[in-house]
Amino acid sequence: MMLTVFLQQTLNGIILGCIYALIALGLSLIFGILETANFAHGEFYMIGAFIGFFSTSLLGLPFFISILVAMAGMGLLGAVIERVVFRPIVGKPLINSMLLSFGLSTALANLALFLFKPDPRKIESGLSEFHFDVCGIFMTAERLSILVLCVVLVCLLSWFIQYTKTGKSMRAIAQDRTAAELAGINVRRIYSVTFAISGALAAAAGTMVGAMFYVQPDMGLAVTLKSFIIITLGGIGQIKGVIFAAILIGLVESLGGGFISYAYKDAYPFILMLLLFILKPEGLAGGGK
Amino acid sequence: MNKTAKLGIISAAAVLFLILPHLFTMDYYLHIFVMSEIYAVLAMSLALIVGFSGQVSMGHAAFYGVGAYVSAILSTRLGMSFWVNFWISGLAAGLISYLTGRLVLRLRGHVLAITTAFFCVLVNVIMVNWIPVTNGPMGIVGIPRPTPINLFGLKIAFETRMHYYYLGLLFVVASAWFLYRITTSRLGDNLIGVRENEELAKSLGIDTMKNKVFAFTVGGAFAGLAGSFYAHYILFISPVTFTIGESINVLVMVIFGGMSTLLGPVFGAILLSILPEFLRMAGALRLIIYGVSLICFIIWLPQGVWGSLKNWWINKKNSDSAAG
Repeated sequence: MMLTVFLQQTLNGIILGCIYALIALGLSLIFGILETANFAHGEFYMIGAFIGFFSTSLLGLPFFISILVAMAGMGLLGAVIERVVFRPIVGKPLINSMLLSFGLSTALANLALFLFKPDPRKIESGLSEFHFDVCGIFMTAERLSILVLCVVLVCLLSWFIQYTKTGKSMRAIAQDRTAAELAGINVRRIYSVTFAISGALAAAAGTMVGAMFYVQPDMGLAVTLKSFIIITLGGIGQIKGVIFAAILIGLVESLGGGFISYAYKDAYPFILMLLLFILKPEGLAGGGK
Repeated sequence: MNKTAKLGIISAAAVLFLILPHLFTMDYYLHIFVMSEIYAVLAMSLALIVGFSGQVSMGHAAFYGVGAYVSAILSTRLGMSFWVNFWISGLAAGLISYLTGRLVLRLRGHVLAITTAFFCVLVNVIMVNWIPVTNGPMGIVGIPRPTPINLFGLKIAFETRMHYYYLGLLFVVASAWFLYRITTSRLGDNLIGVRENEELAKSLGIDTMKNKVFAFTVGGAFAGLAGSFYAHYILFISPVTFTIGESINVLVMVIFGGMSTLLGPVFGAILLSILPEFLRMAGALRLIIYGVSLICFIIWLPQGVWGSLKNWWINKKNSDSAAG
């Protein structure tokens, strides 16, 4: 019995971790390329979830098309936000971008609260009725397809960054902005593209969470903080590290919530981070540097 | 500005702050003034950490909360008086601040900011869930007012906001004096050295870690004192007051005023305690307007109101002397 619960929670943790990975990778991209801490990232995820919700409920589009709609919508909005809000402060001290994006986060979260009211909504994927049990472990078709989609998106992103021209430009800017500019890379275009990709990934994650749990205007902040922990643990710009840290956080939350105490669920990632600082102060990949 | 002008400004400000509650006697105004005083101390203490030693902390509300809870628990459970609790709260918050600082201050930049932010979340989660001690989300009610004191035959019972205003004023002035002494001492120079170039400061033999922990501890202790004052003023505390949003609110006050001075944060605290009151009529739109104003402010006045005014003044003086 205990073993089944353990396996079930592990599976839930991995799915949660994959979704966190999508969000954290976007945040990590923005951080690595613009050197900007985006505290409004969780709001991108929230807005994406609302776009997903309305495209299933109002337009009646199927779940997977809705994810694409949410990605496209939030991608576009991300590029606009970059142009209007973030571009004026590129190159300024970190604290400026932190407060700026916190203002953005407050504005967006409260705008959503004003427009959509605080009631939780659920995205109907139409896939949650199909489920199967393997040795007592419960899995819905919805969760399985979400898992697969996460893996596909992460692979696509890695391929994009590794092999396309835009992806190479992104890596060049992350390494040395001035040198990249000298080499003729259009830095501004890459900034917009980075925000668009990051927004699209967050929107995909938001829509998936909206199907598994709920869509609410205040769902963003906790996710923002968790994503920051993930990129701190995984290392900025380290795709593999971020994925690993995201799954670790997902597992810690899921297993800790299941076996220790659900009430303290939000504290586990922090305790994990503190423990790592105490046990391995210099050993975190990219952390603290 | 010569010395007489400076003295004139200071005494004018002193007179203004002393008679202020007699000019605006409505309870509502007095409440805003008392809250500005609490925020002034919070902002100054955070300025020591962020402005002087250059370590961005997003966990200030945690120490503020620790102070408030220690005071509330001591007074409601053990019936202890504010005059004792006040100091214990400061010590408790300072101790926690010291331990946290020892752990997290080896981190830098955004990692430090995030870690302190999560520390604030952790403290909040504990406040909500450690029900036997903190009474959870319901908060602690019935915190007593400070016991009456007898000041040269003048009995002060702390039953009106006016009394709190003057106590708060004393609190702000004493904190400002204490922090001013720190920032103008050798220690203050060391802190600025850490902010400007930590490696260089280290190579000059400054124990940067010790200095950073010192600033963090003192800042946290003052936040704890402010928390105690808050608890015995509002007489009710709950976890919703001490969230990360509050940390950021204080951080914005520090930046708004201009962070590497002590007067700037006080200025920011007063303005940002009063200005949002005008937004009350905006109702649901209030926080949207707040967020948008914050964005505009960071884009257009990145050095804070105080810093920008100072720059403008210096530029004006330079162009005047060039013209003349």
